[in-house]
Amino acid sequence: MMDSGFDRRDFLKVLGWGGTTAALGGCGFTSMEDGKETVVSYVEAKDYMIPSISVYYNSTCTQCDMGCSISGRVREGRVLKLEGNPESAINRGKLCGLGQAGVQHHYNPDRVREPLLRTGSKSGETITWEKAYGLIAEKLNGVSGEEIAFLTGGMSGHLKVLMGNYLDSFGCKNHFVYEAIAPAVVRAANKKSYGVEMPRISINKAKVVLSFGADFLGSWVSPVHFSQQYAQFRKGVNGQRGVLIQVESKMTLTGANADRWLAVRPGTEGILALGIINALGTATGDVAAAVKGYDKVRVSKDTGVSAEQIDKIAALLKARTPSLVLVGSAAEGYAHGSQNAAAINLLNQVLGNVGKTVEAAASVPFPQMAPALGNTAALQGLNKGLAEGKFKVLFNYAANPVFTAPAAMKFKDNMAKAGFKVVFAHYLDETALQADLVLPLDSGLEDWGSHVPEYMAEGAQINIQQPLMEKIHANTRGMGDILLSLVKQRRSEDYKKYADYYAYLRDALLKNKDAFGGKGIDDDVFWDDTLSKGIVKLAGSTGALSAKASAAGLTLPAPAAIDAQFPLQLIPSVNHSLRDGRNTNQPWLQESPDPLTTIVWDSWVEIHPKKAAELGIAEGDIVEITSKNGSIKVQAYLFPGIHPDVISVPLGRGHEAMGRYAKDYGVNPFLILDAIFDKETGELAMHETRVKVSKTGQKVIVVKDEGPAGGRQMGKKIAPRLPTDKVDFSKEV
Amino acid sequence: MHRFLRLSVLLMGLFAAMSGYAVDAAQSASIVWGETTMPPVTADGQGPAIEQPIEFPHFRHAGDANKDHPEKGGMEINCMYCHTYARRSAVAGIPPLQKCIGCHQSIESVRESPRIKKLFEYWDAKKAIPWKKVHDVPDYVRFNHERHIKRFIFQQNRPFQEACGYCHGNVKELTVGRRLKAISMGWCVDCHKKDHPVTAEGGTSADGQAYWYAYKKPTVSASGVVTANGPNDCWMCHK
Amino acid sequence: MSVTTLLEGWSDWRHEHPINDQPHNPYKWAMSIDLDACTGCNACSVACYAENNLPVVGKEKYAHGQVMHWLRIERYWDEDGREFPDQGARFLPMMCQQCEAAPCETVCPVGATNHTPDGLNSQIYNRCIGSRYCSANCPFKVRYFNWYDYPTTDNVWPAEMNQQLNPDVTVRGKGVMEKCTFCVQRLREAESNAKSQGRVVRDGEVQTACQQVCLPGAITFGNLVDPESKVHKKWQAQQVELAKDVQAKDKEEGGSKLRGYRILEELRPYPSVMYLERVRDSAI
Repeated sequence: MMDSGFDRRDFLKVLGWGGTTAALGGCGFTSMEDGKETVVSYVEAKDYMIPSISVYYNSTCTQCDMGCSISGRVREGRVLKLEGNPESAINRGKLCGLGQAGVQHHYNPDRVREPLLRTGSKSGETITWEKAYGLIAEKLNGVSGEEIAFLTGGMSGHLKVLMGNYLDSFGCKNHFVYEAIAPAVVRAANKKSYGVEMPRISINKAKVVLSFGADFLGSWVSPVHFSQQYAQFRKGVNGQRGVLIQVESKMTLTGANADRWLAVRPGTEGILALGIINALGTATGDVAAAVKGYDKVRVSKDTGVSAEQIDKIAALLKARTPSLVLVGSAAEGYAHGSQNAAAINLLNQVLGNVGKTVEAAASVPFPQMAPALGNTAALQGLNKGLAEGKFKVLFNYAANPVFTAPAAMKFKDNMAKAGFKVVFAHYLDETALQADLVLPLDSGLEDWGSHVPEYMAEGAQINIQQPLMEKIHANTRGMGDILLSLVKQRRSEDYKKYADYYAYLRDALLKNKDAFGGKGIDDDVFWDDTLSKGIVKLAGSTGALSAKASAAGLTLPAPAAIDAQFPLQLIPSVNHSLRDGRNTNQPWLQESPDPLTTIVWDSWVEIHPKKAAELGIAEGDIVEITSKNGSIKVQAYLFPGIHPDVISVPLGRGHEAMGRYAKDYGVNPFLILDAIFDKETGELAMHETRVKVSKTGQKVIVVKDEGPAGGRQMGKKIAPRLPTDKVDFSKEV
Repeated sequence: MHRFLRLSVLLMGLFAAMSGYAVDAAQSASIVWGETTMPPVTADGQGPAIEQPIEFPHFRHAGDANKDHPEKGGMEINCMYCHTYARRSAVAGIPPLQKCIGCHQSIESVRESPRIKKLFEYWDAKKAIPWKKVHDVPDYVRFNHERHIKRFIFQQNRPFQEACGYCHGNVKELTVGRRLKAISMGWCVDCHKKDHPVTAEGGTSADGQAYWYAYKKPTVSASGVVTANGPNDCWMCHK
Repeated sequence: MSVTTLLEGWSDWRHEHPINDQPHNPYKWAMSIDLDACTGCNACSVACYAENNLPVVGKEKYAHGQVMHWLRIERYWDEDGREFPDQGARFLPMMCQQCEAAPCETVCPVGATNHTPDGLNSQIYNRCIGSRYCSANCPFKVRYFNWYDYPTTDNVWPAEMNQQLNPDVTVRGKGVMEKCTFCVQRLREAESNAKSQGRVVRDGEVQTACQQVCLPGAITFGNLVDPESKVHKKWQAQQVELAKDVQAKDKEEGGSKLRGYRILEELRPYPSVMYLERVRDSAI
């Protein structure tokens, strides 16, 4: 019946006729769905439980370590969305995208639900908690404290106290606190320069912020807090809008918001800082002597920043005070990172910012609860012990070293040498897959806890973490509960009065309620009030900052020569959501475009268009990046915000496990990093890896959000920009 | 050739329409509804009778009292005593189990009757009763109970049986709930088109303010009564 | 009847809506976004996913352009041919502009998209038949079509993740168009609560999800006809008027020193979102 004369137009006409007549037969039905669904009400409801009206509970976000306080919207017993808790001075009611994805961590379908015993069998057999605890006790029997190791991420609050007590019960001192991406060099440098590891900075009080790679709007220290300070900074002090200058080798989110972004030769940030001190001309004493050799010509040659630019920066810093100088990747990236940081901190002191925009932070008067801060040097220590076969029992919590350790460290092989490996995990990530026993944890929204943030925004505070709903999976346990059970095995007398971690936490907080502003208040009232607020504010102590500008011990190496065999420098970049890869299995974060490249669901290598033209690389070419320690294949993306001798691959993707949303997406640049460490602190120098790039001949289409125009406005006024001298801010509201 | 094709499809379409009507008209035919088969909608738009886990007698609780034989009559309990969420929330909800137990734990006379025994079985097991939802609008419709209760009962001071009964019918003569009105969109819009008073006559205005939200200018009658319509903004109900 | 009167009459008629004897009374929702404060962090975009039951489509569908982000952050570079983007990038949050004279409203064959009296461009999912004419007409390209049935697609809302879905927002099936709603579910809830108290919604009482989460507070949202609201004051300070296609200040010689503008204003859709231009310092 269908001959070749029947074309598309006829087909549509026929469809139309048929459709109309069929539609005539559709009357007489209602859309009401009586009897189709079940409506289940409460058995016993509290007064405030009214269907469709949300109740908000305050807790602490655990997506990164900064300890923002959250307010969870709970309806009919399910947490639906997280907002910021206005009570916290750190995030003041705001919450970043990573924090929003906390619900996807909680409801993730790939969470571990049962204790898994994996010795021998690849998939593991499910065992009971009793058996698991029994097994741990058995393996610890007769083992001395030196033969036990605990690897954790950063910890603070009562969990840290309990952990300390547990380790103490063995006489074990092997608590390795590891963070794959941590401002550890900055902390050490701050301690030397100012006397405190993490001073309180006031971006909003500064008229000029000069940041050496500190991505304070993205992933550096406390971005939620700093972003709010930044907003005030832009509105200006006395009507004068703040100026942001960012100096780095690869553009970060903060760099994209700078008034002036300067591409600097990698590793030479310290030289630039000394050059600016020289150009200021105000230094005296040993500082003046130290910077004498850093004249504009020399500095310009070494760093790639023009002499004119150096003059402009010095002039601006002189004219507008107070200013603020920050150090980020300049410190963490290099073997001489500590020296870089010292030089940059020196600039702050010479400018007189200490005491104005760099101040002492409040600290909680309970040092045992103060955060144990993670760094990469800790992993070296653990790795060494594992390689020597020292550890009979290894515990791992809130760290994924098999994913984040450079392959050169051979961590996976060394971990296999440990006798019995217990991993406390939310998901079966790379490290959990190497464990003998995997114990499933409550999610961050199901657990109790207390946290002392590293960066104290205003006064001292302790963040309370409380469950926002009942456990989804019956057999997960909170880390506090697990530790309590374990410590009861060793010190049952001391802890037997605590039925669970909740009782322990409540007791511990109530014991000190006078210090928390609860003097004379009934225990229950104080506890309810604390939970309701989600934070405990207390009168903290503030140390003094030393403002002495001293160049003692400051020696900066000359800029490194280019290795002919590995001519490019690899900068593994830190995306503000994915970070070290702990949250990659949250699909909103995978689908959220990288702000600078707009690429989703995959890794990429950023190459400057000039360098790409030299190498004959176009967008979408699969290139192989080879270092001395391995190679990765990844799609190329031409990116103008990078030094031509540098390429950049983002961290956080390239998982081989960790669930359906993380596995097999992208590549993991952690693996090919050279094992080069900062000389002073022993921190992994993240930007020191030298690589070469070669085409593989394969090509893909880059999956990104920017569309074919690629960031061009095609002549339309879409995202224009005004210079400050053409704007009248005075009328603004 | 094409004419034949068009004609045949036209006929097929008509045939399909006829079959549709035939199914509709046949009283004994049943409609597959999710996983159960339900009797079709009756001519006056009434919903099917739904079987519930416990056959709750509305006539006993909400029904009129029988002066001569009190034990045969009802207790005239206000709808909102049990269906308390209707005036607080957009969603009417079903009363929590403790609402039933609250009275029934003290009513010795019916404690051993089969339905009450079943009720207490649920209570002892702390298990919620899985009622079948009767007035179930499709998921893309959001009806706000609170607004209607506030308008008709609290502002216009209509007796609750008239206000609740306008949409739910004469529930006090039923056992379990059953949909007695069409509750289709056309039926809702019909009422929304009606002018209703928004000030003193028929009730006090909220906070002394003749506050309407009907997108049509309210009309003022000769006697000074301000009337307005219900919202006809699609996004009121179909968000 | 002069030509001017004719054109003005036409202009007025373009954004008159059937539902209104009383348009914008008592609400007209509008937004102001400060591009100088926007850092491009994408928190607003993720918050929108959380609030409005947006499906995550995955890599393959994303590659086909079938992504569902109602609010996207566009990133632009300076086009001056320099070696490095040394004044940074420009970030632009783009969502449905809730145009007063929306090009999408006029072309829907079934009337699934209309103008509400409180100034929003409505999208009624159950009426939409999926002709996609509206998205073809949208100059901002902020309408997103459900090419697949995401509720039944693997790994979009697997067990437990489906418990996160917001019950106040319809979960869309295949074949319907969707777009930013200015969190209409929050607006309706706030309006209902305010009405129970016999008053109008106050400024700051209701926030859209994106506004609530915006870290530097770049997004201001509120009732444009409320003289006390921030967004009214901002629009007024920037001398941007809703129902004008060329603002008086733009007719000035040399351009105005005010930062407020609307995107693609020359196409005359009268968007309800005003942007404040990004500023880069000329001192450095």
